[in-house]
Amino acid sequence: MSEVIVVTSGKGGVGKTTTTANIGAGLAMLGHKVVLVDADTGLRNLDVVLGLENRIVYDLTNVINEECRLRQAIIKDKRFEGLHLLPTAQTKDKSAVTPESMQKLCTELKEMFDYVIIDCPAGIEQGFMSAVAAAGKAIVVTTPEVAAVRDADRVIGLLESKVGIKDPKLIVNRLRTKMVRSGNMMSVDDIVDILAIDLLGVIPEDEKIVISTNRGETVVDNEHSLSGKAFKNIVWRILGEPVPLLDLQDEGGFLSRLRKFIGLSN
Amino acid sequence: MAIPQAYDRKNDLETILVQRTLRSGQSVSYDGNVVILGDVNPGAQVTATGDVIVMGVMRGIVHAGAGGNDSAVVIAFRLRPTQLRIANHISRPPDDDNVDPEQAEIARVRDGVITIEAFPPGGER
Ligand SMILES: Nc1ncnc2c1ncn2[C@@H]1O[C@H](COP(=O)(O)OP(=O)(O)OP(=O)(O)O)[C@@H](O)[C@H]1O
Ligand SMILES: [Mg+2]
Repeated sequence: MSEVIVVTSGKGGVGKTTTTANIGAGLAMLGHKVVLVDADTGLRNLDVVLGLENRIVYDLTNVINEECRLRQAIIKDKRFEGLHLLPTAQTKDKSAVTPESMQKLCTELKEMFDYVIIDCPAGIEQGFMSAVAAAGKAIVVTTPEVAAVRDADRVIGLLESKVGIKDPKLIVNRLRTKMVRSGNMMSVDDIVDILAIDLLGVIPEDEKIVISTNRGETVVDNEHSLSGKAFKNIVWRILGEPVPLLDLQDEGGFLSRLRKFIGLSN
Repeated sequence: MAIPQAYDRKNDLETILVQRTLRSGQSVSYDGNVVILGDVNPGAQVTATGDVIVMGVMRGIVHAGAGGNDSAVVIAFRLRPTQLRIANHISRPPDDDNVDPEQAEIARVRDGVITIEAFPPGGER
């Protein structure tokens, strides 16, 4: 049974595109047929992160406007067998894609792939509404910052009430264990306390992500990176394996259980 | 458990039950009392002309006695609001407030100021 999963966050720049690329690559590494759909029309960058920019001829707006066939717009990844990208347009805006056109598109993609993973734009407006419209599941990405968690909460509320996605899963990205331990960063417990949804995984802050992204590569296939291992575990959990959380103690010491009061005063 | 004295007040208003957590951007507004079986997260808001009772963590903005009822109260399992209003009194936790009350609390107007006390009374540890 194919699944359509949207990766969303509310706040921009928290790691949706990075997450989409790595989960997609991870699923493909395990033999699944995957297509990543870039729903961030106008600011596309999933193609750049995968190093596929120079192969784009048609994009999803061309498919929606029936200017090409779906198969013509889908690009095969150069590194992972089974991984595919449906890019979007750089030169159009979010009004080029409606929730209805996204639903129609995903119905077709489900016939062709095991996993359809949608990279959602930041915000909660039209682009968000179109990106989530066809999804049966959602992954909400946040960073350990008050504003990002607030936006994640807003998005979870919208997914539950407006979209009908009942149990979105949480990824906490860019965690710095050392800062959590010194009381200068929200802990995963603090975040889960507020958002009250299942934790799918925690990705540490890792410069290997920046390096690989700039090379148009993923980290999930890098055995020597902690973030890569964290993404691999997330992939296993998506497949239903109960993998325990990684101990992100690369910075030495134990994983902090310290609870911190986050400033709620105005 | 007997109804604590603190809540032994006549209040003929209607009451609604909200059986979910209010997330950022969501709000409930009701002419009467509101009981929430869940949390009220930062960025969410509850407004009632009567009392507000939160069977979870109150982290958002709460306004009880909206319309001018000074005798309205706010009770929460954990009371950590962004801002708390009763009738036309407005209060917020102090900026250096980092106490984490490990008990239910009640907010009400006494002598013209909003006060926070343990609930039920005498439940302090
Ligand atoms: N765990 C991490 N450690 C270090 N850098 C990271 C990590 N996750 C993401 N980044 C970096 O943060 C930046 C933003 O990530 P990304 O583009 O995935 O975010 P996004 O949510 O898709 O942003 P947008 O809302 O603009 O689409 C990128 O430069 C990426 O390399
Ligand atoms: Mg992005």
